[in-house]
Amino acid sequence: MNSLTLLQVAWVALRVNLLRSILTMLGIIIGVAAVIIMLALGAGARYDVDQQIKSLGGNVFVVFARGRFMGGAREASGSSQGLTEMDAQAIEQQISEVNVAAPTLRASGQLIYGNLNWAPEIHGVDNKIYTAQSWELAEGRSFSDTELASAGRVAVIGQTVKRELFGAADALGQTVRVNKMPVTVIGVLKGKGQNTQGNDQDDLIFMPLDTVRKRIAGMTLSSPKAVRSIIVQVTDERDMSIVEQQLDSLLRQRLRITDNQSGFSIRNLAEMVETRSQTMQIFNGLLAAVASVSLLVGGIGIMNIMLVSVTERTREIGLRMAVGAEPRIILKQFLVEAVLLCAMGGLIGLTLAVAVSLGLEHFAGFTAIIQPQVVVMSLGFSCLIGVFFGYYPATKAARMQPIEALRFE
Amino acid sequence: MSHTVVETKALEKDYRMGGQHLRALKDISIRIAEGDFVAVMGPSGSGKSTFMNMIGCLDAPSRGQILLQGAALTQLSAAALAKVRNKYIGFVFQQFNLLPRTSALDNVLLPLLYNNTPRDEAKARAQACLQLVGLGDRLDHQPSQLSGGQQQRVAIARALVNDPALILADEPTGALDTETGLEVMQLLQQLHQQGKTIVLVTHESDIAAFASRQLLFKDGNLVSDRSSIPHSAAAELALLRQQRIKEVAE
Ligand SMILES: Nc1ncnc2c1ncn2[C@@H]1O[C@H](COP(=O)(O)OP(=O)(O)OP(=O)(O)O)[C@@H](O)[C@H]1O
Ligand SMILES: [Mg+2]
Repeated sequence: MNSLTLLQVAWVALRVNLLRSILTMLGIIIGVAAVIIMLALGAGARYDVDQQIKSLGGNVFVVFARGRFMGGAREASGSSQGLTEMDAQAIEQQISEVNVAAPTLRASGQLIYGNLNWAPEIHGVDNKIYTAQSWELAEGRSFSDTELASAGRVAVIGQTVKRELFGAADALGQTVRVNKMPVTVIGVLKGKGQNTQGNDQDDLIFMPLDTVRKRIAGMTLSSPKAVRSIIVQVTDERDMSIVEQQLDSLLRQRLRITDNQSGFSIRNLAEMVETRSQTMQIFNGLLAAVASVSLLVGGIGIMNIMLVSVTERTREIGLRMAVGAEPRIILKQFLVEAVLLCAMGGLIGLTLAVAVSLGLEHFAGFTAIIQPQVVVMSLGFSCLIGVFFGYYPATKAARMQPIEALRFE
Repeated sequence: MSHTVVETKALEKDYRMGGQHLRALKDISIRIAEGDFVAVMGPSGSGKSTFMNMIGCLDAPSRGQILLQGAALTQLSAAALAKVRNKYIGFVFQQFNLLPRTSALDNVLLPLLYNNTPRDEAKARAQACLQLVGLGDRLDHQPSQLSGGQQQRVAIARALVNDPALILADEPTGALDTETGLEVMQLLQQLHQQGKTIVLVTHESDIAAFASRQLLFKDGNLVSDRSSIPHSAAAELALLRQQRIKEVAE
C-alpha cells in the first residue's frame, strides 16, 4: 500500500469523525500556537534590542566621570580633574580605532513656551553627538561654531518636546524659556521612538556644552571644560575590546590615576541592553513550559482518541487483515492517521499563531517575527508527537488477531 | 484426479476457556480439489466456522497440517499469512463486512491495495468484478446505499478481485431473505461453473444442495463427506418468482 493511499485512508477516517478529530487536535493547536507566538515575540524582542543597539550603536562606549558629578551637582573637588572636552579630543585623536568621541553634559530644567511647560532631559553637546548617537535632523540646522564657542542660547529639540510645546505648529525660530533663559529653537530631531525599556528617546533637547555648563547648570567647575560623559564610537565593532583597554589606560594617564581607584567608568551600551533582555528570556522560558505542557496534554489526547478509534474499528482491522493487510501496514495506517491529526493540528495552530501575532503587532504594539525555521520545526515537532503518541495505539491495532478482530462486537 | 487446492491432515483445534479445554475440531483430514463447490454443514457449534478459518489462514491449528496449493501453512508469521490470504483466498462473510462510507468500487479494490497493484489496473479489475456480480452501475454507491443482497454481491466481487484459488463463504445467505439468498447462490454457482473453487458454510440443507459436495460436521468431527448433483439456484429462483407473481395475481 503506497503512502498516498495510506494518507487517503487516514484522511477519510478523520473526516468521518470531523468534530471529534478537531476537538482532539485542540491540544496540539493550542500548544503549537503558543510555541510559535512565544518564539515570534522572543524573536521580535530580540529584533527590537538589536535595533536599539544599532541605534545606540553596538560600537559605542560611554565614559562616565565618577565622583565629580553626582546628580549633576559639583562635589568638593580634589586635586585630580574630572572628564573634560580635551579628554574627548584626545580619545578621538590618539586612539585610531575611534571614529568619534562626543562629550556630553546633563542638566535638568523646565522648558516654558507660552503657558505650556515641559521638563525634558537637557543635554549639553557639540555636533559630534549626531554621529555618536545616530541622530538626524528632521528640520533646521545644528549648532554653528560661534554658537558652540560663545555659549549660544540655541536649542535643537526632540520630537516629543516639539509635540508637547508646539503641536503641529512650526517650532523653528521660536523662543522657549529654559529655566527662565530665552533660547531659540534652531532644529528639530528625527524621532527614534521608544527603546525596549519603553522609555521615550525623543524627550530631550540639545544645547551647546558651554550653554548648559554655564547658563543652566550654573556650575563653577574645577575645569571650565568639564563634561559628565563622553560617548565614544568605535569604527569597527570588532575592535571594541582593544578600544576599551586603550580608553582605560589613556584616561588613567590623563586623569593621573595611579592606583585602583578610578575617576571614570567605561560602559558598553549594547551590553547594558542585552542584560535587560535576559529578563525577557526567563519570561520566555516560562511560556515554553506552558507550551510543552499543552503539547504533552495534546499528545495524550491524540493517544486517547486513537485508542478509541482502534477499538471502534476492530472489525475493520480484522477485515483488512483478512484481505491481506500485513501487521506493519496496519501499524503504518494508524500512525499516519495520528500524524495527520497532529500535522493538521500543527497547521491550524500555525494559522492561529500568525493571526494572533498580527493582532499583537497591530493592537498591542509588540514586534512579532515568525521565522521560517520555527514554522518548519513546530510542524515537524507536531508530526513527531503524532508518531510518539500514535505508536502505542497503532501497535495495538497491528497486534490484533484477524479472527478475533473480525468477530469483535 | 484434479489439482488439490487445499488439504488438511489430522487437523485439530483446541480452545481454552477459563481452564476448560474445548476441542472444536477433531482429526480432520480432507482434500478439496480445484473446481470443487463444497458446502460445510452441521449444527451450531459443530466447528464449521473453525474449520473455515483454519483453511482460510485466519487462525492457526493446534495440531495437524494444512497444505494450501501444496505448501504447508504451519509456522508462518502473521505477515506471511496475510500475504497468503491476499493471494490465495477470497472471503465472503455473513455480515458482509464492507467498509462503511466507502464506495463499492473502493471496497472491492481493497485487497489490491495490499499487493500494490497499480491504481489504474486495480480500478479496472474492481470494476470488472462489480460488473460480473451485476453491480456495474453501482460503483459509487456506499454500503448504506445498497440493499443487503447488493452488499453481499459487493463482498463477493471483493473476494473475486484477486482471482484467488479458493473462495470461502461463511453463511453468505444467513443475513438475507430467501430470494436474495437464492440470487447470491445463483452467483456462486455461476462462479463455480467458471471453474472457481468454493467452500460454503451453511446450516440450511436447501442451500447446501446448490453445492456439488457436502461435508457434515458434528461436535468437531467430520461425520460425512458426499458428492451430489447440485440443484440449480437459477431454476429455484425462477420458480420462486413465478409463485410470487401467482400470489399477487390471486
Ligand atoms: N474464540 C473461541 N474461543 C473459545 N471457543 C470458541 C471460539 N470460537 C469457537 N469456539 C467454540 O468452538 C466450537 C465451534 O465453533 P464454531 O464457530 O466453529 O461453530 P459453527 O459450526 O460455526 O457454529 P454456527 O453455526 O453457530 O456458526 C463452539 O463450541 C464454540 O463455542
Ligand atoms: Mg459459524
